[in-house]
Amino acid sequence: MYPAIIENYEAPRSINEALQALTKNGKDSCFIAGGQSLMQAIKARVLAPKRLIDLQHVKELKGIEYNQGAVRIGAMTRYRDIAADERLDGAYQALRDGAAHVGDRQVRNRGTIGGSLCWNYIAACMPPTCIGIGASLDLVSRGGRRSLPAEEFLQGPLETARHDDEMLVAVTLPKPPAMSGSAYKKWGLVTDALPVVGVCASVELGDDRRCRKARLAIGGLATGPRRAKAGEKALIGVASADAPAISKAAETAAASTETQSDMWADAEYRKKLIETLARDVIAVAFARAEQGNRS
Amino acid sequence: MNKEISITINGEVYHQSVPIRMLLVDFIRDVAGLTGTHVGCTYEGVCGACTVHIDGEAVKSCLMLAVQADGRAITTIEGLAIDGKLHPLQKAFNDHHALQCGFCTAGILMNMAEFIRTNRKPTEAEIRTALVGNLCRCTGYAHIVDAIKEVAGGAGAIH
Repeated sequence: MYPAIIENYEAPRSINEALQALTKNGKDSCFIAGGQSLMQAIKARVLAPKRLIDLQHVKELKGIEYNQGAVRIGAMTRYRDIAADERLDGAYQALRDGAAHVGDRQVRNRGTIGGSLCWNYIAACMPPTCIGIGASLDLVSRGGRRSLPAEEFLQGPLETARHDDEMLVAVTLPKPPAMSGSAYKKWGLVTDALPVVGVCASVELGDDRRCRKARLAIGGLATGPRRAKAGEKALIGVASADAPAISKAAETAAASTETQSDMWADAEYRKKLIETLARDVIAVAFARAEQGNRS
Repeated sequence: MNKEISITINGEVYHQSVPIRMLLVDFIRDVAGLTGTHVGCTYEGVCGACTVHIDGEAVKSCLMLAVQADGRAITTIEGLAIDGKLHPLQKAFNDHHALQCGFCTAGILMNMAEFIRTNRKPTEAEIRTALVGNLCRCTGYAHIVDAIKEVAGGAGAIH
């Protein structure tokens, strides 16, 4: 476990400087965010970038901004800062659930949401969470900028829609409806371990306090993080107190998701995990949405 | 391949040209000669023995390149005691027999020193969760948790 030779290292101070460095260095160059996954890959020589562009000093990529209810999370915002931000509570609380249990304290002190999304590791919490809360991802290149839904950005494990000349700059979320809530939970072999399965749910309640919109996203899958649309559909019209209907939706989500067997869990057990976690996070998401009703 | 960097460790400035691929933990151990920071897992980022503070925050020094710490202030276990006076955690670890072989201890102390500074009166569950990134193969953690509890003054603190 030791990096191969690295020829060049740059630490730009702005997005523009970073994009220029990428253009100048070209092939075999690589952005490094918090490095908590990438350094592992570099040391194991899964990757051997010749040139590293370190984003740690790009201030405009850091921090969470709120603008009339809409949320913009800079790609270099660390897990520790997301986990601590109570303003996300309610509609986007799943982000805090996820960020608070990534790795360990030391990892959360450096690891970033943008790094996690761009790496899109199979056992990661931010990818399913961002899909589950309906986040959009802002990308820039020297040629322009574009925004795309998290579920389009995140493809198979270790694959994303990011082009080589692009940088992920922010995760954006619209102003949430009054009665909305989300939650994320993972299951791993030990406390705070990498997720074997992680599930994110978000619900929006109508005036009748029944679910009128729902999203369910699942991580830990060989296909990459995916929505469970059949499960989402089963939640429409369901009231928060309706435990049997919530269980049924969780069951549907698990049944309709293609799972794989590996050394951590076989396919059938993974379905059981999805069902159990989905039931929990749906119930919590409902409870958080109800709290929005009272405030 | 090399880059000139300047890193402050425990108040002392180390100005050196180093290979870009050099890990921060190797800079600390081999360049600065501060061998209290340990490597427990062949740089896999899982054991936490190499935990140091960078500008006051606990990070694993095997998950960073030395060049990434250019211009920053690092505290290692050698800098935890001030003017020969042990940090309260060091004293408590001694009092509670919270170490056996001691290999993991430096990393645990650095992680917990930041933890108790930012989390007043943590519960036992919070302390245990905060220790997730540090492996100890001797103690079973019970005495470590006791020592931290005493210093942090957490609920159920022992006297």
